[in-house]
Amino acid sequence: MSLKYGLLGLLAEEPLHGYEVKNRFEAMLGGTWEVNIGQVYTTLQRLERDGLVRPAGERGDRGKLLYELSDAGRKALDEWLAQPESGPQELREDIYVKLLLAARLANGNLGPLLSRQKRAYLQRLRDLNQLEGRARKDGRIDLARLVRGALLHTEADIKWIDELSEMGISGESE
Amino acid sequence: MSELVQLSDITKVYQGGVTGALNGVSLTVEEGEFTAVMGPSGSGKSTLLNLIAGLDRPTSGSVAVAGADLGRMGEAALARFRRDHIGFVFQFFHLLPNLTALENVLIPAQLKSTTSAEARGHELLEQLGIGEVADRYPARLSGGQQQRVAIARALINQPTLLLADEPTGALDTRSGDQVMELLMEVHRRGQTILLVTHDAKLATRYAARVISVLDGKIVDDARLETTERAATDVIRVRGEESRR
Repeated sequence: MSLKYGLLGLLAEEPLHGYEVKNRFEAMLGGTWEVNIGQVYTTLQRLERDGLVRPAGERGDRGKLLYELSDAGRKALDEWLAQPESGPQELREDIYVKLLLAARLANGNLGPLLSRQKRAYLQRLRDLNQLEGRARKDGRIDLARLVRGALLHTEADIKWIDELSEMGISGESE
Repeated sequence: MSELVQLSDITKVYQGGVTGALNGVSLTVEEGEFTAVMGPSGSGKSTLLNLIAGLDRPTSGSVAVAGADLGRMGEAALARFRRDHIGFVFQFFHLLPNLTALENVLIPAQLKSTTSAEARGHELLEQLGIGEVADRYPARLSGGQQQRVAIARALINQPTLLLADEPTGALDTRSGDQVMELLMEVHRRGQTILLVTHDAKLATRYAARVISVLDGKIVDDARLETTERAATDVIRVRGEESRR
């Protein structure tokens, strides 16, 4: 995911200052992605250089500059929104490599590792469930939707761990 | 908290197959707990529930519930034990089709001949949000309503232990959520609940303890924390920054 298109999308709603766009971006994601204000300004400058955004009016109060989306920016945003995410599946967590290595190094006895990992995932599911509940209660639907996605991903991770356990990769039954 | 259920080294062998068998299971459930039992079909999780309910007997090992050793009981005593101590909610409701909702709720109470049963039956149906369907027959109720009737029936004798075997398995997501919220509400008032499910999202949402069963054995017994965490400690979205 890219900060660039996040900023373009928010500017499509209305012209905003750098710090406003930062706050809205973070609020949309419920604080799950903290953005450096410097990053936001650098990105806005690049977008301006590429003709995707432009200053709306003069520098105002304390030198604040309002940015708006250009036609080219709108077009780039629409193209990005219409594009399905089709790259390779990203598995960023260490567990994917840990399990493979442990299978080689521990004579295939993955039982304890699988068990510990499953507990960690169950705890994460519980935490995500609570977060989703709080988000819904507070009317933060964007965050609730995001958390729902994370819940389903973690559920898939648990299924994978269960499948490895069932297939007897734990060594005892192999 | 005191121990409500105590299983010691349970073995259950079924003739002609291993499906649902148990092999050396020991388990303690404390009063007031909401525990989930997870496992694939045929892992033995429903067998576990049936043994605790006194619906089935182990091949070896002992089952004690609310201080009573079920192995020492004859059939009549076991039936009394079930009536007085166990509420059971099934996946497919198991309501009698020729009795109204209220009459279904009152079945266990009539076995016990409680005079105030009818008032309590009405009260339970009200609490579960289906007071207005008391006189309808099951065929005229939605799945969610039928399951709520089944929950009222399970609670009518104020059971020591409520057992629920995939209670949302036959329901759509929304009705399933409502049923689980009602069970959670009952739990908040002190009800001990043992829930069998294959849904990890559901289990961790309601139960603070999740037991995993595989091939007739308990392979994990996780007690989960309920501390409130900041969003960033639970989930983090990040991406590549645009270079150039």
